[in-house]
Amino acid sequence: MATEIQEIDLKTDEMIINMGPQHPATHGVLRLLLTLDGETVKHVEPVLGHLHRAQEWQGQNRTWFQYQALIDRVDYLSGMFTSWAMARACEQLDGVTVPERAEYLRVIVSEMNRITSHLLWLGTYLIDLGAMFGFPFYPFREREKLFDLLEEIAGQRMMFNYIRIGGVLRDPKPAWFDKLKAFLDEFPDRIDEYEAIVTQNPIFLKRTKGVGILKQSVATDYGVTGPCLRSSGIAMDLRRTRPYSIYPDIKFDVITFDKEGDTWDRYMARILEMRQCVDIIRQCVEKIPTGDIMGKKQMAGMRVKAGEGFAAVESPRGVLGCYVVSGGGEKAVRFRWRNPSFCNLTILPELLKGCPLSDIMAIFGSIDIILPDVDR
Amino acid sequence: MFSNGDEIFKISRLTLVWLGGIFTIVWMVCWAIGIGLPMLLTNQLGEQANLANEILRAVTPVIAILVFIPINAMFMVLIERRALALWTVRKGPNRVGPDGNFQTAADAVKLLLKEDITPTGADAVMHTFAPILFFAPSIIGAVPLLAAVTNDHPLFHILNLPTGIFYVLAAGALPVVALVMAGWASNNKYSLVGGLRSAAQAISYEIPLVLSLVTVCLMAGTLDLVKITQQQAGGILNWNLLGGGALIGLNQALGGGGAKALEAAYPMGIASYVCAGLLVCALTISFWLYLTGACAEINRIPFDLPEAESELVSGYNTEYSGMKFAIFFLAEFTNLFVVASITTVMFLGGGDNPIPPYILDKIPGIPQMVAAIRDSFLCQTLHLVNPETLFATLWVIAKVYGLVIFAILIRATLPRFRIDQLMAFGWKRLIPLSLIVFIIVVFAREFVNIHG
Amino acid sequence: MANLISRAFGGLNEVRRGLATVFKHTWREPITKNYPDEMPDITPHFRGRLALTVNPETGDHLCISCRQCERVCPDKCIEITSHKSPETNKLELIDFKIDHGLCMFCGLCTEVCPTLCIINTNDFEMADYSRQSLIYDLKKLTLSQEESAFYFERKEMPLPKPKPAKPAPAAKPAADAAAKPADAAAAKPAAPSAEAKPAEAKAEEKPAEAKAEEKPADTKATEE
Repeated sequence: MATEIQEIDLKTDEMIINMGPQHPATHGVLRLLLTLDGETVKHVEPVLGHLHRAQEWQGQNRTWFQYQALIDRVDYLSGMFTSWAMARACEQLDGVTVPERAEYLRVIVSEMNRITSHLLWLGTYLIDLGAMFGFPFYPFREREKLFDLLEEIAGQRMMFNYIRIGGVLRDPKPAWFDKLKAFLDEFPDRIDEYEAIVTQNPIFLKRTKGVGILKQSVATDYGVTGPCLRSSGIAMDLRRTRPYSIYPDIKFDVITFDKEGDTWDRYMARILEMRQCVDIIRQCVEKIPTGDIMGKKQMAGMRVKAGEGFAAVESPRGVLGCYVVSGGGEKAVRFRWRNPSFCNLTILPELLKGCPLSDIMAIFGSIDIILPDVDR
Repeated sequence: MFSNGDEIFKISRLTLVWLGGIFTIVWMVCWAIGIGLPMLLTNQLGEQANLANEILRAVTPVIAILVFIPINAMFMVLIERRALALWTVRKGPNRVGPDGNFQTAADAVKLLLKEDITPTGADAVMHTFAPILFFAPSIIGAVPLLAAVTNDHPLFHILNLPTGIFYVLAAGALPVVALVMAGWASNNKYSLVGGLRSAAQAISYEIPLVLSLVTVCLMAGTLDLVKITQQQAGGILNWNLLGGGALIGLNQALGGGGAKALEAAYPMGIASYVCAGLLVCALTISFWLYLTGACAEINRIPFDLPEAESELVSGYNTEYSGMKFAIFFLAEFTNLFVVASITTVMFLGGGDNPIPPYILDKIPGIPQMVAAIRDSFLCQTLHLVNPETLFATLWVIAKVYGLVIFAILIRATLPRFRIDQLMAFGWKRLIPLSLIVFIIVVFAREFVNIHG
Repeated sequence: MANLISRAFGGLNEVRRGLATVFKHTWREPITKNYPDEMPDITPHFRGRLALTVNPETGDHLCISCRQCERVCPDKCIEITSHKSPETNKLELIDFKIDHGLCMFCGLCTEVCPTLCIINTNDFEMADYSRQSLIYDLKKLTLSQEESAFYFERKEMPLPKPKPAKPAPAAKPAADAAAKPADAAAAKPAAPSAEAKPAEAKAEEKPAEAKAEEKPADTKATEE
C-alpha cells in the first residue's frame, strides 16, 4: 500500500513564505525565506542586514571616549559585555592595569547583565512557544529589579556605558551591595518557580525534547559558541578555557551536558547558568577588595597606544570578540566585532531543515540571537 | 498572605458590579417583554391580547440572548484581562471609568469606528460572510441552554428541545466552516494555514468531545437538557461529574434512607459498588475530556494553533479589522461562555446547589428565606422573582464563571501544542480514552440502579 | 500500558503544579505602578533630560563657554554661541542649544563639564508635538536655583566655589585671575561633600583659563 502511494507521483506545489522582517516572532527584523512543503520546511534562507548601523565604521569615526558610549548598542541586551570586550582590547594595547576592585565590579555587573539577558530570553522564548499571557511576565519582573540596580550605578537601564577603558565608571555604595545581596537571596526561589511552571510541563517537553538537535560537528564547523555549544557537550567557556579578569579566582564549573543538545538542553543550560551567575556574584560580593576603580584617566581626547589588539569575553550568547587597530591617535584605525549571534544564526538552515512550521520558532528562539548583534 | 488584598477586592467588586448589572438588565428586559407587557395587555384588552402575548413570549428569549451576549463578552474580556493581570503581578486596565470598568466598552467603540479593510485580491463576499457565520452558531447554540440554566423557567420553556444537546453540538460544529472561509478569503498564506489548521483541529477534537457528552446522555437516558439538569438535583453527589446517578443511593442513604436505600440502588452487592466506583471515575474522566476537547474546539490556549501568534501572526483573522474583527472577538468569548454553560449543565448539575437539601434544610434561616421570597409581592403578583429560578441562576452564574476563570488560569500557564502533536494527542490519546470510558459506562451502568 | 498511565499522571501533575504556581501569584502585590499618577523611583545618577545648573547659593550661571561638551558630543547635538566680552576679556555665553531629538543620553557632556554646569536631570518626560520644540535653548535649559540645589545634593556634586570677584567684576581682571588659585584653595575644604569626590574638586581649578581655541586634549577634565 505504501509503495503504491509512492509510485503515484502526487504533485504538490511548494509554498514560499516570507517570514519577517516584520513578524511577531523573528525577534526584530530578521527575514526568513521559507520554502514549505505543506507544513514541513524544505529550505530556509535567513536574509540579514535590515538592522545594519555601521557600528564598526562609526568606531573609526569617533574618538575612543565617544565610541565607548555607543557600543552598548551593538548588543543591547548585554551591553556590559560589548563594553568589556572593547575595554579589554584597548587595555591590551595600552598596557593599562585595571585596579582589582574594578575587575571585581566588572564581573559583578556583567554577571548581573548575563542574568537579565537570559531572563529576557526565557520570557520571549515562552512567548514563541505560545505561553503568551502569563509566564513571560515573571522573568521580566526580576529583570526589572536587576535593571534598577544597574541603573543606580551606571545611570541607564540598558545603555550602561559603565565599563570603561581602564576601569569602571562609578563605585557603588555599600547600600547597593546590600540590595544586591537581598536580590541574590530571593532570586533562586524565583528560578524554582519558573522551573515549576516550565521545565517539566508536558507540553513544553513535547515542544522541545528531541527538537532541533545540534550536532557537535555542525556546531564546531559553524563556530557556534555560548550556551548552544555547551549544551551540545563541548565545554567551551572562555571564562575557564582562556580565563580573563578575576575568573581564575572564582569557583564555578562549566555547564555542559553529555549528549548532543536539543532545544530543551539549551533551555536548561541557560537556567543553570542563571543559578551559576548568582553563585559567582555572591563570591565576588564577598571577596571584593577596596581601592581604586579607574586605571586610566577618562577624558574627551584620550588616546590608545598604536598597535592591534584582540580581546574576547564570554557573553550570554557566546564568544564576543573585539579586534582593534590603533594608530595612536584619538580615533581607532579599524574596529571589528566578532559577534556570537551572527555565528550562531548561521546554523539555522541546518537545524530547520525538515522540521514542521511550528518548530521554526521553538528552534530559532532557542538559539537566542539578537538582531543588532547580528547586523551591527 | 493577603499583601494583594487591594487588587483582589477591586477585581471582586468589578465582578459583582458587572454581573449584577448584566443579569439585572437582561432579566428586567425579559420580564418587561415576556411578563409585564402581556399582563398589562391582558388587563386592558382581555382576550384580544392573547395572540400578541404569544408573540411577545416567543420573542423574549431571543431578545434576552441578543442583549446578553455582547454585554457578557465585554465583561468576559474585562475579567480575563483583570485576572491575567492579577496572575502576572500587574494591575490590568484601570484608566477608563472607575477601576477601568469601561475599558472594554471603549475598546468596542474603537473597533466599531475603525476602517473596515478588505485586502486586495481577497474574496470580498466570503471575507464579509465569514465572521457572521462564525458568530451566528454561538447564538443559535446558546438558545436551548437558556431553558436548562434557568431551571425551566416558564418564560424560556419554549426553547426546551427534546434533542437539546444534539442541537447544541450541531450548532457548535458550524464555526469551522467560517474559519476556513476566513482563512481562504483573506488572500494571505498565514491566514490560509490558520484556517486549514482550525479545520483539522476542530474535526479531530469533535470526536472525544461528543463521546464524552454521549456518556453523560447514556447515564441520563435522555438528550433533553432540562431533564439532564433536573436528574442531577439533590447535591453534589448526584451530579454527572460524580457518576451521574451512580451515587444517588449513597446520597439517599445519607439523607435518611439508611441501608434500605443502599440496597435499592446497589442490588448486586459488591459488584454494584465496584461498578459505581467505576462510573464515578469514568464520568470524572469524561468531564476533563470534555474540557480538553472544548478548549480545542474554541481555540483557546493550549490549543490556539489556528491563531498561533508567534507562528502565523494571527492566523485566520490576520487580515480582519474593525467591525469584522470585533465580531470574531465577540464570538470567541461567547463560545467560551457557551462551552462553560454546557459543562455546567451536563456535568455540574446546572443550577443545583452542591449542598444536599437534607443538610441545607437544617441550616437555620434558609428555608424561611426561600419561603419569604416565595410569598413576597414580587413573586406572587408580578412574577418578577421566583425562588427556584433565582437560586438556580445564581448557582449557574457561579459555576460558569468559575469555569471561565479556570480557562483563564490555563491560558496564563500553558504553552501551545505543535500541530502534529496536537493531532496525535487527539487521535491517539483522547479518542481511545473516550471510547474506553464509553464502554465502561455502557457495562457498568447495568449493575447500578440509576435514578432510583 | 502502565508506563503510559504513569506518564499521563506525571504530566497532569506537572500541569497542576504549574497552575498552582501561577495561582499563587493571586496574593502577590502588583509590581507595576500607575505611572502618571505615581512617579517611578529614579536613581540619582539616571541620565535624563540635559539641563544647565546655576550656582545654588548665588544664582550665577555656571557655564563658562568652554565648549568641551559641544566637542565631546557623539551626536553633535549641542550648539554653543558665545563671544568674548570686551570688558573682562572672558567668554560670555549668548545661547546654548541642545537638540534633545538627537541626543542619545550618553552623559559624556556631563562627564567632561569642568564646572558641573551641564547635568543629566532625572526628568524623562519630554514628549512634544514637533521636532523643533525638542531643541531647547538657554532659557529652557537653565534650571532655577532651587532645582540646581536639589540636583547638586542629589547627585552629591561638590558645590561650586563662589565667584571671587563678584562685587567688582569689571574692575580688575588681572587681579581677578591672580586671586583665583588662592580662592579655589580656600573654597575646596569648604565645599560640603568635597571629600567624597576629590577628583571633581580638583577639576574645578582649571576651567577659568579654558578657552575655546584650545585643543580638547589640553583642557581635559576628569570626573572620578
